Amino acid sequence: MNANTTAAPMIGPRDRESFFEAQRRNRHATWRLSAVSVLATVVMGIPLALTITPLLYAAALIIADIVSIWAPLPSSFWQHANEIARYGMVAIGWLTQGKTANPQALVIGAAVLLLPGAILSLGLWLGVNALFRRAGVGGALLALKAREPNQSELKELQLADVVQEMAIAAGLPAPKIMLIDTPAANAAAIGTSPNDAQIVISRGMLEQLNRDELEGALAHLVASIGNGDLRIAFRVTSVFETCGLLVAVINAPFGRRSRGTLWRIVRYGLFGKKDSETSAQEAAAVAALLTRSAGLETDDIDNFFDTTSRKKSVLRSIRNFLFFPIFFTNMAIKLSLWFFSLSILEPSMALLWRKRKYLADACAVQLTRNPDGLAEALRKLNSDRGPIPGGAWASHLFLVSPAGGDRVNNPKANGAQQQMWAASEASGKSNSSTPASADLPSVMKQISATGSAAMAGDANAMARMMAFRQAAATALGKSVDEMPNLTDIAAAQHGDKAALQRLAEFGNKTKANQPAASDSQESAESSSNFAGFFPSLKRRLKRLDRMGAHVELESDGGKSWIVIAVLAVFLGPFALVALALLLLLIAIMVLASLAFLMVWMAFIHELFVVLLHH
Amino acid sequence: MSTTTLIVIGLVAAALLIWFIAVFNSLVALRVRVQNAWADIEVQLKRRHDLIPNLVGAVQGYMTHERSTLEAVTEARTKAVASSSGTVADRAQAESALSGALSNLFAVAEQYPQLRAVESVQLLQEQLTSTENRIAFARQFYNDEVMKFNTAQATFPRNLFAGVLGFSSATMFATEEPERANVQIKI
Repeated sequence: MNANTTAAPMIGPRDRESFFEAQRRNRHATWRLSAVSVLATVVMGIPLALTITPLLYAAALIIADIVSIWAPLPSSFWQHANEIARYGMVAIGWLTQGKTANPQALVIGAAVLLLPGAILSLGLWLGVNALFRRAGVGGALLALKAREPNQSELKELQLADVVQEMAIAAGLPAPKIMLIDTPAANAAAIGTSPNDAQIVISRGMLEQLNRDELEGALAHLVASIGNGDLRIAFRVTSVFETCGLLVAVINAPFGRRSRGTLWRIVRYGLFGKKDSETSAQEAAAVAALLTRSAGLETDDIDNFFDTTSRKKSVLRSIRNFLFFPIFFTNMAIKLSLWFFSLSILEPSMALLWRKRKYLADACAVQLTRNPDGLAEALRKLNSDRGPIPGGAWASHLFLVSPAGGDRVNNPKANGAQQQMWAASEASGKSNSSTPASADLPSVMKQISATGSAAMAGDANAMARMMAFRQAAATALGKSVDEMPNLTDIAAAQHGDKAALQRLAEFGNKTKANQPAASDSQESAESSSNFAGFFPSLKRRLKRLDRMGAHVELESDGGKSWIVIAVLAVFLGPFALVALALLLLLIAIMVLASLAFLMVWMAFIHELFVVLLHH
Repeated sequence: MSTTTLIVIGLVAAALLIWFIAVFNSLVALRVRVQNAWADIEVQLKRRHDLIPNLVGAVQGYMTHERSTLEAVTEARTKAVASSSGTVADRAQAESALSGALSNLFAVAEQYPQLRAVESVQLLQEQLTSTENRIAFARQFYNDEVMKFNTAQATFPRNLFAGVLGFSSATMFATEEPERANVQIKI
């Protein structure tokens, strides 16, 4: 026999992997990615500290100036301040013009420029940590409207039993279980540490999974708790929350929204107890913070300087002129937050979190010795997931991504649209060949088809659309005249300016009527932050398959890899150039903010000095 | 001897001592984990012993023709309770005999549709199924811990002094495969 064929005696299929092996691999990956995440946070912190520090100095200077109006500060104070400023200038000169300086002065200068901002960020981070750790999970559970399982009901008794079994298999104290009465199928382990961990599971999931699948799913959650994922998740979110808090703090003097956010957090921190009112506040506060860290949206400072929407006045121009540097600082902070969190922080943390998911999957296989249960559960949950009400802020803790569905799939809005269409059908009766009860995509298709037919001049379709308009008006609680007129739409398409104007007016009116809805939308949007935190179902199944699950993986023939490779070759250089330009832009913004603030500080200080001497 | 040699020897001795303490402590920790895992099994076995009289009482009325099956369960339970003070191997045998008798009972109960429809019996059966699972998982955990403990003792440098320090290998909680094979499941 040929030596080559006998040389590699392999037990089992070739690419089999034991769950112990998979666990070891993912644990190592966790270490690597944790280091990368910490590094990413530090890298992001440098430009942030550079922009925040001058703000702090400016605030300190103004306070010192105001104080010295009544009680002149000793001259030694101003001498120290001068010295600090000189060291800072040394560092700035080195940074911008490459001026050589002695290393000691440079180090002190760098410390002068970076330390105050870094200390503030660190302080905020510690504050966020302390606040949300103390808060625990009691409030969050109330926000989810979770309840304890009823032990005299077979399915719920089974759930409690399965959790107990998995805790025994993992050698852990059994976590508490809470049920959410919602048809969406999902489950999560929430908490800040293994000590206060709780498993939240939706009633919909309980209905859909059999005992084996339930076992697999819960083994994943129990293993995740046992691996200490909650601590990691807490750290990850606390970094994003700190970013959000930073933006809120800087925006606070200039707008009501930021003050509202801050107030919500402070109030929660001071009075947060386990009652229903503050629990909702916790979820809202976290969601608000997470949304803020998302980046480039319009903020209070932008509104503050937004002169287009309001009347111009001398006072406003003076005020805008006085606070002009803040605008740059805010832009620099937001831009660097947006860029660095999107390019390095989020990817590294998302990768880290994915590895934890794989690790928990491998541990679940170890606990149940039945990879099929988990694989089947994942497949079922993935095909039927939906948003868990009140769970947006914790979406990364769920078993499968709850934010998977696209925005169109909001069941409430869908239902409304379907109802309107059906109602118009009943009243219109012009197009009765179409079935009244249809699923949403087909309804949307019908609407648009009828709409374009009406545009083209089909009288029948026109009547149908008018009926729909009537139904929509009643559903929104408006008179028909307030709704946009179809003839207007048609006219606008042909370039009628007056019609266009009427449409724009309608748009504004609708917007004005919706401020209350924006708050809930905000928390829904924040869940999209965590979209990348979940490995794709295919990859999870592939790994489970390697550990012995019997899943049929449809192969795509590797074509997607070719497409990606081609795209990378062609778009790679452009992406690199864009990246470099963005970095340059951020550097310019940071330096501009520094320069403007310095000039501004000198100006304000002189103003005070002049005022004081007269 | 010069002072540097003394210092080197001292450092090496200190490092050895620290390593020794670490090894000893890790072995102790593993032993505690094994003991804990065993205690977990005991809790679950006790739970099963307590549940069986309830189950037998609940199904007796419906299964008058299956007296022998029920008696086998009761008898196996008595033996298992009696073996509580015995060795691990004895207990494992008695308990797996009980498992066999119980799954026999469940298999027979499948033939009584009116029994399966009673809610309290359903709940009881779920509890017993869960207890069976818990015992299985506790045993799995115990065996994993025993494996870790025994491997730690048997691998090289530790095998030289594990015995001297009073560590001995723990016994796995094995199931008796023949007992399992006896179960007849009628479909």
